[in-house]
Amino acid sequence: MSGVSPRLVAYAQVVSFFGAFLLFWEYGVRYFEVKSYILPPISAIAVAIWESRDQIFEHSMYTLAEVLIGFIAAVVVGIIIGMIVYVSPFAQRTIYPLVTALQTTPKSALAPLMIVWFGYGFVSKVAMAFLFAFFPIVVATLGGFAGTAKNLEEHFRALNAGPWTTFTTLRLPSALPAFIDGCRVAMPLAMIGAIIGELVGSDRGLGNLIMLGTASSRTDLVFGCIIVITLISLVLYAAIECAAKSVWWRGIQV
Amino acid sequence: MSATATIEANKGGAQPAAQPLANHIEAKGLNKHFGKVAALEDINFGIRNQEFVSVLGPSGCGKSTLLRIIAGLIPYESGSATVRGEVIHSPRPDIGVVFQTNNMLPWLTVRKNVELGARIRKMPAQARDHAVDKVLEVLSLSKFADAHPHQLSGGMRQRASIGQALVLDPPILLMDEPFGALDALTRDKLNVELLRIWQEHRKTVMLITHSIAEAVFLSDRVLVMADRPGKIIEEVVIDLPRPRDAAATRALPQFGEYVAYLGKIMGVTK
Ligand SMILES: Nc1ncnc2c1ncn2[C@@H]1O[C@H](COP(=O)(O)OP(=O)(O)O)[C@@H](O)[C@H]1O
Ligand SMILES: [Mg+2]
Repeated sequence: MSGVSPRLVAYAQVVSFFGAFLLFWEYGVRYFEVKSYILPPISAIAVAIWESRDQIFEHSMYTLAEVLIGFIAAVVVGIIIGMIVYVSPFAQRTIYPLVTALQTTPKSALAPLMIVWFGYGFVSKVAMAFLFAFFPIVVATLGGFAGTAKNLEEHFRALNAGPWTTFTTLRLPSALPAFIDGCRVAMPLAMIGAIIGELVGSDRGLGNLIMLGTASSRTDLVFGCIIVITLISLVLYAAIECAAKSVWWRGIQV
Repeated sequence: MSATATIEANKGGAQPAAQPLANHIEAKGLNKHFGKVAALEDINFGIRNQEFVSVLGPSGCGKSTLLRIIAGLIPYESGSATVRGEVIHSPRPDIGVVFQTNNMLPWLTVRKNVELGARIRKMPAQARDHAVDKVLEVLSLSKFADAHPHQLSGGMRQRASIGQALVLDPPILLMDEPFGALDALTRDKLNVELLRIWQEHRKTVMLITHSIAEAVFLSDRVLVMADRPGKIIEEVVIDLPRPRDAAATRALPQFGEYVAYLGKIMGVTK
């Protein structure tokens, strides 16, 4: 074993774990004779994904667009509200508690309402993605602004720094790690929001495809959609992680 | 005790009224409450131009509160506090402040951190670069200019904090236990550096500390505070020859006598 790097060992462990899992799935369902509309073998799912690739791709792009637009809207509105609360004591007293209270509302319960308000199409799903992503972002941003070190604030006051300078030089960078953490939580939630919206009522998107698959007992296609949704979420999450790397001062106390 | 006698004699010569030079910092009958807690009561003192004065006192006696008032960071209720004859109501550009917790922004390099005050106070770029270079050099931080604060030792960070105040070359320097979080060895070294800087650049300094040796080593005069309520109970002129020197000054018999006397006032030694 002496020549093998620990990294290679760890890699081999991961690969063999997932390999064993997939093999168990593949042959387990055959061995126990699980009905394929309950749990199809993984190979059947792979085949379904391949055969419906054009359809899945088209619906994926539709869902991805909903998620991204909802998420970006949540980021923009989250930052704007964070800034308003920062500059206005009135907003601090009113909007802040309101946002904190609304945070606990189960957002999935709002899906039917979004469809009533914005229709069956694209906009209601963007609204759902937004609703799911908005609260973690705004709460994290507000926390980030509020959490600016008191000694640094005093330091800036001692230098007679104006509010804008203090904001851009101190508050914003010190809120960034918390803001990125909020985005990290919000990104998968935006996907969940969009999918719930599509499940409740839609004519396109991966959630819609899942509904179609279920109605026609195409469990292989349903699983295919779930896997694709997961993969897209992972890629989006990785993108946030990449952005998070540029905010390297998270958790550094000096 | 002859030491005490000498010191008592010095005290007599330290009356502000006998000084021809005007006070740079002056407090008269200053009071400050936090709610019902009397943080400062009837504070009277003056610090002359280019004088180095330390404020010694137990934790919680109101030292930081006093410094914040002089720095224009918090209001006071009654009495008066003035800097160069002007009533203090907000932070002034001619005062540099060094706090106990260093004020490094973790996302900026040492250079950018030291530069911060000059940027905020809108010093022209060329003068600013020049001033930063000089300060980094004086504090032996030039090699670490591009490092980030978390890559520095505690002593270096505290030096950089002093650099943040020095970059504007303020005639008045207020320091709130700047070396309080450091180990004794680093503290002694930074005392020597601070002394050297002060001997070269002569500023009016108000240094808050709870180290008796630090106060004696650096100061022209030491104000001793007591708590509940915070007030000045004693003023001791440190009549040790200048320029002082790391080894020689600390080896002087009078140095030990001052330390012992202040320890007695503060109840550290019997
Ligand atoms: N912002 C504040 N609000 C209420 N009480 C305070 C505040 N700042 C200081 N105090 C109180 O005033 C007293 C003096 O505090 P401080 O000036 O920090 O003392 P020191 O610096 O000598 O340790 C303490 O009892 C402290 O609890
Ligand atoms: Mg203090």
